[in-house]
Amino acid sequence: MNTVIRRLTGHLARGIAMIWVVTTISFVIIRNIPGDPVRGQYEKLIEQGMGPDQAERATAALYGFLPTGSLWDQYTGYLNGLIHGDLGQSLSTPGTGVATLIGSAAKWTVLPVLGGTLLSFLLGVTLGVYAAIKRSGKLGDALAISGSLLHGVPQYVIGLLVTAIFTTLWPILPAGGPVDISFEPGFNAAYIVSLVQHATLPVLTYALASYGGWILAMKSSVATVLGDDFILAAELRGLKRSVLFRYIARNAILPLFTILALSLGMLFGGAIFIETIFNYPGLGLLLVNSIGARDYALMGGTFLVITVAIVVANIAADLLYAVIDPRVRTGGAA
Amino acid sequence: MRRLAAITVTALIATVTACGGVGGSADSGVYTTIDGAKQIDATAPINPFNPQGNTFLGYDAMTLAWPKNDPVDPNRFYPGIAASWTVTPDQGEVVIHLQPKARWSDGKPVTSEDVRTSIGLAYTQGGTAYAVDPKAAGSAADVRVVDARTVKVTQGASKSNLFLRNVLSTVVVPAHVFGHLLPADFWTTLKAARGTGPAAEKAKAQITGLAEKVISFAPAKDVSAGPFTLERVNPGEALLVRNKHFYANQNIAPDRVKVLNYTGNQQIWNYLISGSLDSAPFTAVPTGVLKRIRETEGNEVVKGFSPVAVSLAFGQTRKPYDNVHVRRALAYLIDRSQVTKVASPEAGTPAKTTTGIHAKSAQAWLGNGIGELDQYQVDPAKAAKELEAAGMTRKGGKWAMPDGTPWKVEIHVPASFSDWVAAAKAITSQLNDHGIDATVLTAADYTLYLDELAAGKYDVGFWLMALGPSPYNIYQRIYGSANGWQLLAGQLTHVPPGTQGNWMGGPEIIDGINPGALTSRLNAANPDEQRRIVGTLAKLTNQQLPVIQLYDYVNTQFVSTSRYTGWPPADSDVLRLPAGVWMQLGMIKEKAGS
Amino acid sequence: MTVTQLLPAPATPRRNFWRGVLRVMRRKPSRMAGVAIVALFAFMGLFGPLLYPSPLPRDDNALYAAPSWAHPFGTDFEGTDVLALVVTGTRYVLLAGLATAVITVALGTGIGLLAGFHRGRWDTVLMRLTDLQLTIPGLPLLLVLSTVWKFTSPLEMGVVLGVLGWGGIARAVRSQTLSLRERGFIEAARGLGLSTRHIVGRELLPSMAPYIAMNMLIAVTGAIYAQVGLFFLGVLPFDANNWGVMLNLAVFGGGALTSAAALPYLLAPLLAILLLTLGIVLVVDAMDEIFNPRLREE
Repeated sequence: MNTVIRRLTGHLARGIAMIWVVTTISFVIIRNIPGDPVRGQYEKLIEQGMGPDQAERATAALYGFLPTGSLWDQYTGYLNGLIHGDLGQSLSTPGTGVATLIGSAAKWTVLPVLGGTLLSFLLGVTLGVYAAIKRSGKLGDALAISGSLLHGVPQYVIGLLVTAIFTTLWPILPAGGPVDISFEPGFNAAYIVSLVQHATLPVLTYALASYGGWILAMKSSVATVLGDDFILAAELRGLKRSVLFRYIARNAILPLFTILALSLGMLFGGAIFIETIFNYPGLGLLLVNSIGARDYALMGGTFLVITVAIVVANIAADLLYAVIDPRVRTGGAA
Repeated sequence: MRRLAAITVTALIATVTACGGVGGSADSGVYTTIDGAKQIDATAPINPFNPQGNTFLGYDAMTLAWPKNDPVDPNRFYPGIAASWTVTPDQGEVVIHLQPKARWSDGKPVTSEDVRTSIGLAYTQGGTAYAVDPKAAGSAADVRVVDARTVKVTQGASKSNLFLRNVLSTVVVPAHVFGHLLPADFWTTLKAARGTGPAAEKAKAQITGLAEKVISFAPAKDVSAGPFTLERVNPGEALLVRNKHFYANQNIAPDRVKVLNYTGNQQIWNYLISGSLDSAPFTAVPTGVLKRIRETEGNEVVKGFSPVAVSLAFGQTRKPYDNVHVRRALAYLIDRSQVTKVASPEAGTPAKTTTGIHAKSAQAWLGNGIGELDQYQVDPAKAAKELEAAGMTRKGGKWAMPDGTPWKVEIHVPASFSDWVAAAKAITSQLNDHGIDATVLTAADYTLYLDELAAGKYDVGFWLMALGPSPYNIYQRIYGSANGWQLLAGQLTHVPPGTQGNWMGGPEIIDGINPGALTSRLNAANPDEQRRIVGTLAKLTNQQLPVIQLYDYVNTQFVSTSRYTGWPPADSDVLRLPAGVWMQLGMIKEKAGS
Repeated sequence: MTVTQLLPAPATPRRNFWRGVLRVMRRKPSRMAGVAIVALFAFMGLFGPLLYPSPLPRDDNALYAAPSWAHPFGTDFEGTDVLALVVTGTRYVLLAGLATAVITVALGTGIGLLAGFHRGRWDTVLMRLTDLQLTIPGLPLLLVLSTVWKFTSPLEMGVVLGVLGWGGIARAVRSQTLSLRERGFIEAARGLGLSTRHIVGRELLPSMAPYIAMNMLIAVTGAIYAQVGLFFLGVLPFDANNWGVMLNLAVFGGGALTSAAALPYLLAPLLAILLLTLGIVLVVDAMDEIFNPRLREE
């Protein structure tokens, strides 16, 4: 138990150091992005057909929200705010805290990412076992190749294809947005159905995009397990096929949990394409919009959240690994 | 694991069975549309002073009056909260008479005090009619409540003929909700700020210091004087419900309005194809998509005047674009109708020639004068002559700089504007055909583009122009701050090229004409003088070509006749106003039997 | 190959190796197809631009033309043949992909080897660096970077993508090195007093070469997607025959997801990506079996 705590403390310290480094790097890059946010906003309104006077009225007061002081002062101020849990004020939605914006966006990222990943994990793992056992057969081969192909195809390609199919060619699902406003939010059937409908395509895309990876990972994990002696022993004991299947699956799935934890963390950053395509108001879309609006604090905040997700996922994966693999648990790791 | 799989399957089935009736699912009494001016941000306050605020102009946000989409006259309006108004000929004094029946959605009457508070709040935001600086042209000097339903606004000494337009476009907010944002001594502070000396400076700082507080203010609920009130908003949509206290409630057909969010045009296209929008604002639409939209039952296209044009602008300090002959040569080589056909076949008409003005307004401003201008029809021979006049040389079929170095035309566009990218590509293809080495370069986003443009990093770039109807606004795009003329506190100065955002870098005086000074004159000139100035500037622009006008935009809007009728016809002067205003004016009616 | 002829001794195992390759290829015709596909793309990358006149011809009267014999994938917004755009665009895409892959793999292998071989302080420092690289959210950072920096040449593109992507390989190579260290022959080599360079160059690298090669191929596909994706989001400089630009213009300019008119314009680069992926996947599958006898079935 002591080792676990020591391990965890070490991880946390390193994690925080890592977050600090990434925050610093992103701070420097973000503050060096060229472009005047107010001018950009003004011309954007003009482009949308607003008259020059009206556009000027709408943007003049934004100057008060621009960061002031030297870069160093801004940096120390920002860090100081972070320590006190303050992510700063948004520029594109002036007067709203970055934390509020991120909080409201995060739920639209977390749920589809979780849903999609779990769905693909279940599917991929199950099929991966078949692909490994039947790897000489046609089915196993097809599974493996389809897995590799889907694993290889980028998310945005799948997203584009899925949209074209389900909203244009065969329009059975809404093309975008999180939920239909006509339904009273809350725990009622109409609202939940609408939520699920709107989430289906993003979830499906996440699932399709990552399912191939799971097949491949499971297949190679099973291949390792198949080589292990205890399977041979089980076979010698003449266990039933279904029991054997469970044996193999249970042992092969363990290492995959660490990958699962890691991929959940990574998906936060990868949500950009899917959320752009589906107009889904999550963190990815928030980041894209904040870059367009030169909303420095919001960009920094979104970056921070994505980084924290990755760091936490890494720690979780490592701890999981320690729990699963006894050799690591005793502290004998490199 | 099997159990989990079973749950997954059940969930999938539930999803699929739940998927009935998406698309065209608008229930009766609901009006579905899009706000073209902003994307919805559910966390933003219900506050019209906030750029992301969840108020929707024409629905739950009301201005004193609504400007008509007139090609020439900026001072024509439909009534809003103001039922009528009178104005002195020099626009020195505007008297506003409020709608006698106007009420807020909480039942309280809309009074002169609300208007005065709204104007006070507008001062904290700065700009146009409510600039604290007394020398700024066209700023209000005094706001006086005449009676409960009458307000008088007086213009300061430095007059502008846009004063009426700016005053009437004031958004009116309820004093009993927003009033506390203004300190008790606000009006005395304002008076002090409009004076001179350190006391004035201090007062000025006090007023602008209020800006953040005003922008950030988040009322608990929407109190609207418009036909609707905001009910709730989520990141995808906003729902507004009927305000039964609205002064022209009998005109309003729908009980509820759904404003859908969008992140890109293609979402609007999808909404239109699925038939879920009753109306959509101006949207760029490719021909193929337009066909699909038209195939959906009930969808109709309404086209009207849009006072915007796009041009190819030059950095006139950069070689060889400092030479007018080179600019003319390019104008003779660019086939504007082909460019328009490629880039914006549905929402653009090829520019007749470069005047600085949208063709429709140009007709009114210049009359027959337009025929006397150079039309710049495609003419490679003339172009070659112009290039030779500029000293350019031809080597192996390729044009080169006078000193023999290769000439590379780099046309810059922001990557996110696909019609501009297509237009730029079409132009480079044409130029390459004529032996000019041309390429398209994109900037990652519009903000970056504007920044690099302003920093003078581009030789040639795309630029929006002809922002009518006010002639001052039109020419301000060519002979304004982008070209070195700055109007600060009523004083016009010219800054050298490469400084303070002067990227066009044209000469201050051309043939004895100072175009910037003339443009600034347009602000205060009477109609006759305006016509003379516009004539001069159009001719100058046509000869000097600081920009090459490519195509004039056409306002392409969509309406659906499936649920509502009574839409404004093509070229109607309400077309650039939100559909909420159409309803206020009694236009949109529920379709019988739907 | 000349080296093999000079040294007759290892010739036999080498011949056996090629025979093994042939056997693996022959067992599944799909693998031959994979090689053929990759070869086709390599050909297009090398000679594609030579097959068409430059600039590509346009037809003002056939904007977004439907597929026909003359234009198998229709035409684009300017009336240029879409197939010609895809073919001539292959070079940039592959070049950037290769550049990225080389940089990714070189950095990853170098750092992984160094860390795994030296262990101790080097290992700690390098692994922290790797952790940092893996922690930085790559795509978001690229989006921000694209406003600061213009990626004009495929090489620049490759450097940035490579620098943002070597972490995974470094980790894998390190653990491979660690496990190889545990095996006898490295210890034996050390015992013989052979130099580090010899051990790394002659003993470690060759046994990891197949693994590295496979990673390289995968890195190529990864790089192509990242790059095409960034063009698709519209943040990279315009180039009419870039696949990502084509996707972007088809979707945002032509409305390919909404109307059938621009659909071929969208599908051509999409199919090219799918086909290239398929080819590489099949080749990697074959390599996997050639180099990883454990997967080979008897």
